[in-house]
Amino acid sequence: MAALSPAAPATVRRPRRRRHLPLWHAFWILAAAAYFIVPIISLVQFSFGGRVDGHSAGFHWYATVFADPNFASSFWLSVQIALETVALSIALLVPTAFWIHLRLPRLRPVMDFVSVLPFVVPPIVLIVGLIPFLQPFTFIYSRPEVLDFIYVVFAMPFLYRSLDAGLRAINLQTLAEASANCGASTWSTLIRVVVPNLRSAIIGGSFLTVAIAMGEFTISSLLSFNTFPVYIFNIGQSTSNEAAALAVISLLLTWALMIALYVVGRGGRTTAQMAATR
Amino acid sequence: MATLETAASSTATPRPVDVTASAGRRPSRGRSRAGLRWLGVAPLTAYLLVFLLIPAGELVVDAFRSPAGRFTLGNISAVFQSQYISSFGASLELSALAALFGGLLGLLAATAIVHPSAPRFVRSTVTTFSGMAANFAGVPLAFAFTSTLGATGVITVAFQHLGISLAAIDPTSTTLGLALVYNYFEFPLMILLLLPALDGMKREWREAAQNLGASGFTYWRTVALPILLPSLLGTMVLLFGGAFSAYATAYALSGSTGNLVTELIGNLTNGNVTVDPQLAYALALGMMLVISVLMVAYYLLQRRASRWLR
Amino acid sequence: MARVELRGLHKTFGGGTVALDRLELDVASGELVSLLGPSGCGKTTALRIVAGFETPDAGEVLVDGVDVLGLPASRRNMGMVFQSYSLFPNMTAKANVAYPLRIRRRPKAEREARAVELLDLVGLARQVDRYPHQLSGGQQQRVALARALAHEPAVLLLDEPLSALDAKVRVQLREEVRRIQLELGITTIYVTHDQEEALSISDRVAVLAEGRVEQIGTPAEIYNRPRTPFVASFVGTVNQIDAVVVSPAEGAVRCGERVLVVDGDLSGHAQGADVGLYLRPEDVVLVTDEPEGTPGASGTSGASGTSGASGKVRSITFLGPVTRVGVDCELGALVADVASDVALGLGIGDPVTVVVEPGRMRTLV
Repeated sequence: MAALSPAAPATVRRPRRRRHLPLWHAFWILAAAAYFIVPIISLVQFSFGGRVDGHSAGFHWYATVFADPNFASSFWLSVQIALETVALSIALLVPTAFWIHLRLPRLRPVMDFVSVLPFVVPPIVLIVGLIPFLQPFTFIYSRPEVLDFIYVVFAMPFLYRSLDAGLRAINLQTLAEASANCGASTWSTLIRVVVPNLRSAIIGGSFLTVAIAMGEFTISSLLSFNTFPVYIFNIGQSTSNEAAALAVISLLLTWALMIALYVVGRGGRTTAQMAATR
Repeated sequence: MATLETAASSTATPRPVDVTASAGRRPSRGRSRAGLRWLGVAPLTAYLLVFLLIPAGELVVDAFRSPAGRFTLGNISAVFQSQYISSFGASLELSALAALFGGLLGLLAATAIVHPSAPRFVRSTVTTFSGMAANFAGVPLAFAFTSTLGATGVITVAFQHLGISLAAIDPTSTTLGLALVYNYFEFPLMILLLLPALDGMKREWREAAQNLGASGFTYWRTVALPILLPSLLGTMVLLFGGAFSAYATAYALSGSTGNLVTELIGNLTNGNVTVDPQLAYALALGMMLVISVLMVAYYLLQRRASRWLR
Repeated sequence: MARVELRGLHKTFGGGTVALDRLELDVASGELVSLLGPSGCGKTTALRIVAGFETPDAGEVLVDGVDVLGLPASRRNMGMVFQSYSLFPNMTAKANVAYPLRIRRRPKAEREARAVELLDLVGLARQVDRYPHQLSGGQQQRVALARALAHEPAVLLLDEPLSALDAKVRVQLREEVRRIQLELGITTIYVTHDQEEALSISDRVAVLAEGRVEQIGTPAEIYNRPRTPFVASFVGTVNQIDAVVVSPAEGAVRCGERVLVVDGDLSGHAQGADVGLYLRPEDVVLVTDEPEGTPGASGTSGASGTSGASGKVRSITFLGPVTRVGVDCELGALVADVASDVALGLGIGDPVTVVVEPGRMRTLV
């Protein structure tokens, strides 16, 4: 279209300005891509290596991993903790977020601030403070379920922010008034009207919570529970190739969660997606 | 709790003071209804009290206690021994490096994504991959970098063949190397956290500046950067805090030889060398102080940022 | 001051939508020309091309005879006022206005003096140190106007500058825009979708539809002599009446059983062809049929001499000084604007006589 036009002066400039950019851009994009991809390639390569003759070990280390009964037990322990954390987080945060938006909107800035606290409070500091406090309660302190309660704190920023974004998007006040006008109680408004509208926010926040709980190392290691990341770490102390295979499995799991999150997020607003414990 | 109550009574006060009505009953009813409203946040408040505030308080108290339970300043003064105080130096240096790397790279990438000439798909692609990278952290990330830049890592070995030593960025033993690892999640995190602020930048500002004679650079220097600065610094404060708090990645890389504050606390709590919970409390208190300063800075920057971006 | 010419501007957007279709426009030096049209007619695109934010597929933009399309927006020496949000939030009103001078590295004292002077010109002498978020929408647009004038641009461009404001502020501010424009004698292109705004402040109005100029002329020409059905219906309200040409030479048409001589050139029509007649509501006169001789709805003397069509009141809409009365009559369904005090006597269903002065009826080319 443009090529036919007589307005050459207008179009002459643009190619000149743009010709630099692709090269410049391409360099940075390649550099960034290399930075992000090379460690993963190395990891995968390590998971296939480790034979003295230098040949590929194939899926040897993966087979070793799956044969180890501790793999399954630590993995399922983490899954169980993750699901319990999700249930507890939803039960605690969904009604609270709903209530704050509906009745206490001026608490919203306070909550914005509170909800980033667990993000910056170092897990190691929290657990050092929690140990003397929880130790007397042996019935809970010695059971892995204690992790559920602690992880809820760390999952809070992510689930709350997801809910907050969802609630902002649905014009809650009007929905609640319309629902009350139809004779619904506040509670049934929450269950029948708000929760279905928040579905993608709840599911999105839940995936992030699962990602946190599945990846958390600091607290479970200091409380000596053999969760999945602790198991990976312990294997890494002895057989690095096997640990690499485990890290690949863990990575694939995280990605599956993130892709699921992306698919869910497409329905509504995508929320910021970062959840791993570092 | 005290803050809750004062806030509750302040809700009751603005209610119209009805002079004609029986003054005895009205206000009390208003107060109890307002109180009920605040009851809605009671579960969360209680939860955070038990699992966040009490541990924090416990820690503060215990930092000033001897193993026998008596008051002492010994733990605190022990922190100022060279080994421990230098661990704060190392942690702060690492956090600064990570925040700076991640912050600047993230800013560049994020502005490139939102630039009007960038194709649409770039944004969704980059945010998706950022989400993935930002979640690749902890033990698996440590192993990935050990196999890349560790003593027998793929890249290390490749460079050895070229006669170049990468020992200076070995993540298992150098701060720079560790910063490079942290950057793996800090960089994408910066992109994700900064995008909303960049979305708040109006197209009209850029166009008005151009129309009034500003070059792209001048627009950035005089308009965009001053507006973005609070958000930018606020996000970098979060990155700083994230790096400062990190334990799993560093511990998995350097084992018990690490000298970051978090690693020392871990060793003192559960280590195979020495266990000294009292000293761990004191170190954790130090970390809390640093984090508090960061949070105040973050809060002030946030307030400043929201003034402009409404 | 500068003369602006748009020559054959053509622009197609990604989806194949034609935004501008070989647009032609001349703006004389010191003139204020409005681009008026419905959303999507290309008026904003045209303005953005002039400003340098869009590139046309074809055509030229000449300022004093020189093509400026090769220049980036920052070097075109134009001032633009956007619809909203264009003030830099990190600067006070004064700093915003001084900004173009800061870019041009003028001495600080000169910048300040000029900014204060311009803010005074737009009536904000007391708000110089306020930040944009401390100003009302109308005040913000005043600052934006002052800023667009600070570097003494050759051309002033306004892109729906008042559309985000309240009705009252809008009227007040448009008068000020015009006052300042006349005072400075600056060549101005004003984009708006509000016909009242365009008619009230412009030297000339260009009505745009589907990327081309339908008609350009003084506000009175546009209103009184619309050349196309689109212009007639977009600018103001019109009644449309179907008629048949009786004598092209005399301008006579037949409408119902009446033969009328109308204003407008019928030479292009054959005898017996169908034509549409257009008539403004204020040109329709209603005469009430009451015997006691109440004066006609509007005191036209021709009431007796011309064709009176009997009809019935269908609707009554109060518009302030006038009341719009809908009437069903032999000519079709018409609306008439009647002085409100007179219309008080009317009720729905009342019989009335519709009197139309044939000279007021127009055919369009």
